[in-house]
Amino acid sequence: MTTTAATRETLLKRLDGLHQIPTIPAVLTPLLHYLQKPVEQLDVQKTTDMIAQDKSLAAQCLQMANSPLFGHWQKVDSLREAVIALGFQRLRDIAMSCGVLNLLPKDCGGINPVAFWEHSLGCALVCRHFALKISFADPSKAYLSGLLHDLGIIVNLWVLPLEFAAAFELAKAEGIPLHEAEERVLGFTHCESGRLLAERWDLPPDLVEVVSLHHTPQKSPTQSALVALVGISDLLCRLRGLNYGYVEEREVSIGEQPGVSVLAQHCPNLRSFDWARLTFELDSYMDEVHTLVHSVYRT
Amino acid sequence: MTSAAVQLAALAEGPPDPELLRIRDLIYQVAGIFHPDNKLRLLQDRCGRRMKERDVKTLREYLQCLTIQPSRQAELMALLNEITIGETSFFRNQPQLDALRQIVLPKMLEVKAKLPYRRFRVWSAGCSTGEEPYTLGMMLLEDANTRLKDWTTEILATDLNERSLAHAKTALYGSYSTRNLSAYYRQKYFSAVGEQLQVLPVARTSTSFNRLNLCDDARMTFMKGMDVIFCCNVLIYFDLASKRRVIQHFYNNLLPHGYLFLGHSESLYGVSDDFRLVHLPGTTAYVKAERTRGESRKV
Repeated sequence: MTTTAATRETLLKRLDGLHQIPTIPAVLTPLLHYLQKPVEQLDVQKTTDMIAQDKSLAAQCLQMANSPLFGHWQKVDSLREAVIALGFQRLRDIAMSCGVLNLLPKDCGGINPVAFWEHSLGCALVCRHFALKISFADPSKAYLSGLLHDLGIIVNLWVLPLEFAAAFELAKAEGIPLHEAEERVLGFTHCESGRLLAERWDLPPDLVEVVSLHHTPQKSPTQSALVALVGISDLLCRLRGLNYGYVEEREVSIGEQPGVSVLAQHCPNLRSFDWARLTFELDSYMDEVHTLVHSVYRT
Repeated sequence: MTSAAVQLAALAEGPPDPELLRIRDLIYQVAGIFHPDNKLRLLQDRCGRRMKERDVKTLREYLQCLTIQPSRQAELMALLNEITIGETSFFRNQPQLDALRQIVLPKMLEVKAKLPYRRFRVWSAGCSTGEEPYTLGMMLLEDANTRLKDWTTEILATDLNERSLAHAKTALYGSYSTRNLSAYYRQKYFSAVGEQLQVLPVARTSTSFNRLNLCDDARMTFMKGMDVIFCCNVLIYFDLASKRRVIQHFYNNLLPHGYLFLGHSESLYGVSDDFRLVHLPGTTAYVKAERTRGESRKV
């Protein structure tokens, strides 16, 4: 990830100057702040009221809450029921998912926003699933990290729509990873632009690292397990059909990825891990994510 | 069905039965074939057929048939037969075929380009009634005038069952076997014979059929010089010791960096560490890894 000083300068200028640059949606900040409190201090009605302020967010949350992907198998008709059935943590995950994904610009310049939703939501779910399998300490944090890892793509779509569209076309045409195409066309990747936004949003340092280093987890100064976990989950999603709507035409040896050795330092059971089974398990997510995103996106 | 309706249908099914999940794990442990959550209904149907046959009312009782009763081995075989029944068809696993054609083949031809013999050998081990080897033959023919120009391609197809082989040699197939066939391949490589379709001689010449028991150590030793081996839904019937022997033979029979393709959701976990799992778009394969001591291991 080498960015020329001039390009970086341009990017920073555009990022600073653009008024419509994504900000965390107004309703989310107080909601997420509130849901950080210990469970015993949370109130169902207050949570419901906070979400209900944003009608579109409320409708999307309800759609999500009705998906087996979030572990619930009975139909819920109201936000209140959703809060009771899923619990505060799941609801926070859902609200955050809708909030972040709604940051995509209305016009993505020929790029299908549904594909970005699918990748980010899919990656979030895969991160949580993988985290649980390897007994990673904080599966909820893993979910959030998966959701936010490609924040830089949202930035690129807002700040450099034409240049980013060219990078995307190159990635699609050559079947190469998007960050490689961005590097060639823009001179930097969504990791770099994502870091700028993550810092501006004042995200915690571990999340900033996820956003900026998920393609190069070996460069994490802390050898962060979270960054490695997200990097591997992102790769698995891209290889199994949740890749922004195109196929990366290449062969990947998961066991030899740098992120695996980083993660193995923290999770010893990764040394004899059944990657094949994890891959097959994720296949069921792909269909569900596709179905869910299509229904949510229409609300 | 709309996506929302699909979601509701999934909800109506409710969470997976824990006994079914135990059966899934048992099958994966013993046979190496995994049913992801979105295929659990299929597994339940297959179990249902066996339960009807055995006059067993609940999955719990059926799990006991598979684990405790003296006939458990025979019942497991019967269930595996149900699971794989009707699996055989032309172009059964498209991502696997695409990966062979788009990624594996060009890579192998490049590695072998400097060798004196320009020969590409594929082995369909457990070819059943011949759909798989003929599919491979047609696919390779598509590249005959381009990247395979001046190359000899050979497809060795073997099976234990004489009747299957006799069927394969007639090259005549009904509508079930040809259900995944595109109009392009149907028109180019088949002729109509009554209500059936017959593979044209042009797509048959490179394929030879032979009877072979994969457990016959003496004969397995002679299957040398393979570039790619396809062995789909065959190893699932073998016990662990036999599986290990067959895989060892495959290892020795493959050329350096040769590929082994297994059935959809089939894994070598716990069977062999000699192969490296690789991810290709939408599919997985096993690559012959170099042994550090250099010599091939005796079976």
